[in-house]
Amino acid sequence: MFTQPPVLKSLSAALLVAVGGLAANHSMAEDFYEGKTIQMVVPFGEGGATYVAAKFLEPFLEKHLPGNPRVDVQTRPGGGSILGANWFAQNAEPDGETILFTTSSTSNPYVLGMDAVEYDLAAMRPAYSLPFGAVIYVSPRTGIDSPAGLKEPDMPLIYGGIAAAASDLPTLLAFELLDLDIQTVLGFDGRGPARLAFERGETNIDFQFTPAYMSQVVDMVQAGSAVPIMTGGSVGEDGVLSARDTAFPDYPSVHEVYEELYGEAPSGVEWDAFQSIGAVTFNYGLTAYLPEGTPDEILEIFEQTIAAINDDPEYQERSVDAVGGYSLLPASEVTESLSEALQPSDEVREHLRTLLSEEYDVEL
Amino acid sequence: MLENIATALAILFEPMRLLALFAGMLAGMVFGMLPGLGGVAAVSILLPFIYLMDSYSGLAMLLGAISVIYTADTITSVLLGAPGSPASAPTAIEGHALAKQGKASLALGVGFLASMVGGLFGALILSVAIPIAGPLVLALGTPELFMFALVGLCFAASMVGKDIVVGLAAACFGILLGVVGAAPAAANYRFIFGQSYLMDGLSLPIVALGLFAVAELIGMVASGGGIAGKPMTMGKWGESFREFWRSRWLIVRASIIGIFGGFVPAVGASASTWIAYGHAMSSTKDKRRFGKGEIRGVAGAEGANNATVISDLVPTMLFSVPGGPAAAIFLGALFSFGFYPGPRMVSETPDLMYMIVWSVALASVMGAILCFAVTPYLARLTRINFALIAAPLLLIMVAGAYQGTQTFGDILALLVLGVIGWLMKNAGWPRAPVLVGFVLATPMEQYFWLTTQIHGFTWLTRPGVLIIASLIVVPMLLGLVRKWRARQAATPTDSAGPASHTASDDEAPRDTAILLLASSLLLVTFAYAFYEMLGFRSNARLMPALGIVPGLLLSLFILGRQLFRLRRQGRIVHLGSRQELPVLAGILAYGVAMWLIGFNLATPLLLAWLLLKCAGMRLVSAALYGAIVYATALGMFALMRLTPPPGSWLTLPMPW
Repeated sequence: MFTQPPVLKSLSAALLVAVGGLAANHSMAEDFYEGKTIQMVVPFGEGGATYVAAKFLEPFLEKHLPGNPRVDVQTRPGGGSILGANWFAQNAEPDGETILFTTSSTSNPYVLGMDAVEYDLAAMRPAYSLPFGAVIYVSPRTGIDSPAGLKEPDMPLIYGGIAAAASDLPTLLAFELLDLDIQTVLGFDGRGPARLAFERGETNIDFQFTPAYMSQVVDMVQAGSAVPIMTGGSVGEDGVLSARDTAFPDYPSVHEVYEELYGEAPSGVEWDAFQSIGAVTFNYGLTAYLPEGTPDEILEIFEQTIAAINDDPEYQERSVDAVGGYSLLPASEVTESLSEALQPSDEVREHLRTLLSEEYDVEL
Repeated sequence: MLENIATALAILFEPMRLLALFAGMLAGMVFGMLPGLGGVAAVSILLPFIYLMDSYSGLAMLLGAISVIYTADTITSVLLGAPGSPASAPTAIEGHALAKQGKASLALGVGFLASMVGGLFGALILSVAIPIAGPLVLALGTPELFMFALVGLCFAASMVGKDIVVGLAAACFGILLGVVGAAPAAANYRFIFGQSYLMDGLSLPIVALGLFAVAELIGMVASGGGIAGKPMTMGKWGESFREFWRSRWLIVRASIIGIFGGFVPAVGASASTWIAYGHAMSSTKDKRRFGKGEIRGVAGAEGANNATVISDLVPTMLFSVPGGPAAAIFLGALFSFGFYPGPRMVSETPDLMYMIVWSVALASVMGAILCFAVTPYLARLTRINFALIAAPLLLIMVAGAYQGTQTFGDILALLVLGVIGWLMKNAGWPRAPVLVGFVLATPMEQYFWLTTQIHGFTWLTRPGVLIIASLIVVPMLLGLVRKWRARQAATPTDSAGPASHTASDDEAPRDTAILLLASSLLLVTFAYAFYEMLGFRSNARLMPALGIVPGLLLSLFILGRQLFRLRRQGRIVHLGSRQELPVLAGILAYGVAMWLIGFNLATPLLLAWLLLKCAGMRLVSAALYGAIVYATALGMFALMRLTPPPGSWLTLPMPW
């Protein structure tokens, strides 16, 4: 992987902004996308959560991007999103007309350094992110009614997941960090079937991402058949994954739960691993990447567009049901922290690889 | 409730919505008829268009397509012998055999009517989703889901045909194909040869297309004539209605099996179709005609597959867990329109629910009527020289396969599986068990490991497991008892039983070279797989071992038997198979050309070869027809919003 040293990168970025600021006048940005079509590549199948979110954002981007381009959502599934991301890395031009819209399914293999990965995600330029929070909840039969109860459940805890290296990774890392005794059953088809197993009483601890939580689990909580415990949290002002999830201000974050259980803030390689993977999965859950070398001018266009979408009352209204009511994060709030999460220290990377291969038998 | 049912009907009877439903039905019919392009292709192609409409119209359009696919694919299965979609493989076997005997209209008529009944049963179960279907879905725990897959495999084993050794080896090969990719229980990738293409495993449409459609296509181009040996007479539907009425209870039972198939995620239509087919076989006294044109096989399979795609919507609507791939796309559409499926949605928006029920019911009935109407015209196509139909058909298959991941891997997989299918066909080996093994390997493995991890061994005593297990054991015992009685009653006359094997094609001597080649390849494949398997982690090894170890022994036996027969009977040259070689080579050359110079340049070469050489058209008419086919194929790619495969060496950029 060839990434520029960060100093050089920000220096050249600053230079570009300066030059661009002098050269570009306002009208150039105003009609930048006029008559153009943006190809939004989703590396998953039609109808999946990422596709639905992309289609949800499509009309808002068309409305607020200067020149009102057509946004064309295209699916390129395969290899657990790796094929689509590889295609993007090899084919997309840095002209702002091709965007990769994807999740931690693309970034986890990158962070873990898997062989099939042919894309350099950290070198790409994030245009915006949509947080994708998650709530961890338990069955009332476990007798757990607060985070502290996780340590002494009435019955052994069973968790149902898909695969250790997939979207289950941050949850498993959280269990690891909190040192919980949980039996992990992997091999479910998706979070939906895992939730069905929870409803049938086959498992008793589960997590769901915000949209599914809102439409499925909230009712279960009201009916008394599920007890919410904590969320993955969100990245706070200090760049740490410690703040509460904005969609669930009543539930503590993993960070808070650790503090409650152990009386101190989490630190060390286990925390760094959770923070790195958790931030990409939750806070930057759905991220739009522009190809490496995309000029700052285009990123500036997106910066303004995202602000406009967040202010759009229609977005505010419709996003509550569709995506959990999160505001979009513009590049300025994403780039630095995401780049750090995508390039963890060698120690963290080694920890993740060892954990996956030894505890979960993952072949890397 | 009655009020809601009426309101929902009023909602649907807006002209725009009816039009959308109808448009969806037409798309579903076309995609159902095109071999290999099933519900997923139709629904994903329609998906971008629904965003242009209001929510009810958009959903009606998708439902129209979903409801008629398994009705329309009967046409392809019966007339071509290539399954219109993977879940109609039994129809392709029985229905096509009937068509060859000049009974196409019987097979088609019963197929349409059974599909319609299946669709209506699906609609019925949807309308009682909350009180009845929901608890049923939740009652099916992981162990029951495992048992369902197991029953599917056992029923499938009952149709391996006359040569049990070959049939079982084929099923083992199917399991081997099915375990390619990520293992569900251990994070182990199996047989991917470092290719990220194979990480998700092979896709069902490509396997079905390759095994069945490519081989049929080659055979028909080589034989030069039309699809039917003799002109097919159409229009006499009376007999099919009578046969439908005779099999009505079988169809009802098959529909109920189909409904349960819809409740089981991942197993779906492909498994329930085979279970219903197996049920048709075990409930028919005279089993000899199975595999050679048994109308009850068609009735069972078609009743089940349509019921399954509709009841796939039950877990989709109640738990937002899609029951099948088409339902998954439908779920995405619901989200996009701001409907968030769950018990709350079903009870709070009964209008939506009943609108869906009405759409499905209406489309099922209208779809069957439409199929009856268009079939006589389509049947005429079967008299045309097949090389003319082969050209567009092959291009459609390429487009359908390429829709998978849009990489050359799709084309390569299609061709490799096509060669395997051709070899098997010419060796006289059944291909259906391969498909069954392929389809059921993944869910069986997945549910087995989930079951043992969650329940230990206590799952064996669960009532649901015992009930489903009795489905396997009871027919088996009954069969044994029946056999024992038959033997006691008719020992002397048994040997003089009617050996009237009408389907001479299955009995014909096979080309020795092809048999030897196929058996050796099978042995080499299993031996290599066995070697590779030793390196897997234990959790990832069990399922492959279940296919590979018996497969290795069986293929060893088959090769040995082949060599023995060779010594005893001498070499046999089957001219039919040899004549097909140039066509096979031509299609492989097309694949290579596509890899080198891309679809846009390779396709005119293919068309020139097929139309001028194989079909013997004149230059002018070939150029005209070729241009139309070429333009249609490119239009097809544009409709699916795909760029045709580019060449690695040279690509003709299109001027538009």
